[in-house]
Amino acid sequence: ILDDPDLKDIDPTVLKHCHAAAATCILEAGKQKADISAISTCLEDCKLDKERIEQFCTEYQKMTFSLNIVVSFSIGRSPLHITDVSWRLEYQIKNNQLHKTYQPSYLVTLNVENSDSGSHPDVSFSCTMEQLQDLVGKLKDAAKSLERATQM
Amino acid sequence: CASFKGKLNIGVDTIQHGVEGLVYLLTESSKLMISEVDFQDSIHVLGFSDELNKSLLQLYLDNRKEIRSILGELAPRLPSYHSLEWRLDVQLASRSLRQQIKPAVTMKLHLNQNEDQTAQVLQTDPATLLHLIQQLEQALGEMKMNHCRRIVRNMK
Repeated sequence: ILDDPDLKDIDPTVLKHCHAAAATCILEAGKQKADISAISTCLEDCKLDKERIEQFCTEYQKMTFSLNIVVSFSIGRSPLHITDVSWRLEYQIKNNQLHKTYQPSYLVTLNVENSDSGSHPDVSFSCTMEQLQDLVGKLKDAAKSLERATQM
Repeated sequence: CASFKGKLNIGVDTIQHGVEGLVYLLTESSKLMISEVDFQDSIHVLGFSDELNKSLLQLYLDNRKEIRSILGELAPRLPSYHSLEWRLDVQLASRSLRQQIKPAVTMKLHLNQNEDQTAQVLQTDPATLLHLIQQLEQALGEMKMNHCRRIVRNMK
């Protein structure tokens, strides 16, 4: 904004204040999911003239959708979020302590993302076939209850 | 050891060597899971009496399984799965946005790492949950494929 040629005649401090005020107003309106009439009423109380109010509302409506997406997904805390899973099936033949072990095992890695920093060491663990079946069974229960909840 | 020394009238060192030798014999045999015939052939060279060889063989066969399970604990291990708890949540509002409906599944993954149990809280959205289920079911299916079956059969 400070580099915009149309605005170069205005005092930069005033410009910053205007920008901050506009941004705060937009974010608050978005947060409360206020509709156009509520915004207009609010701006009228602030003694803005009709033409300006109309312009503001038109611009606001254009950006509402993308604003909501940004705000709801990137701001705020949540536990580590699983984004993907990778797995490896191996068949153990021997180790230095014990030969002829002959055991299959799975190595599962859950790729996780932290809402704050965006990266986090992945959660890895090994499991037997029975344990993996237990895990998948529990995840399927969760999915079933999700489906039931959406039908309510 | 001292009590044995008194009873059998032999030095402490001898007893210690004897015990160590016995331990080595049993652990190596159990580790390699050698057959009865191989075990008998191996101890034959030591020149003991037939009765002693029979006792040693019986000792080996009786304790083999337990020794192997103890040796199995010594192998390097990654954290292993213990259990999973889950919960269905719906986020209704946050400091930055009111009036939401955002479903999520919150899970507590219990893992075992070297006798310690750790619990990790994780979250995922419905789409990722279905993807996880699909991927892990594929993983389970692999064991039943011909390729894996052939290898398991031939490796014994």
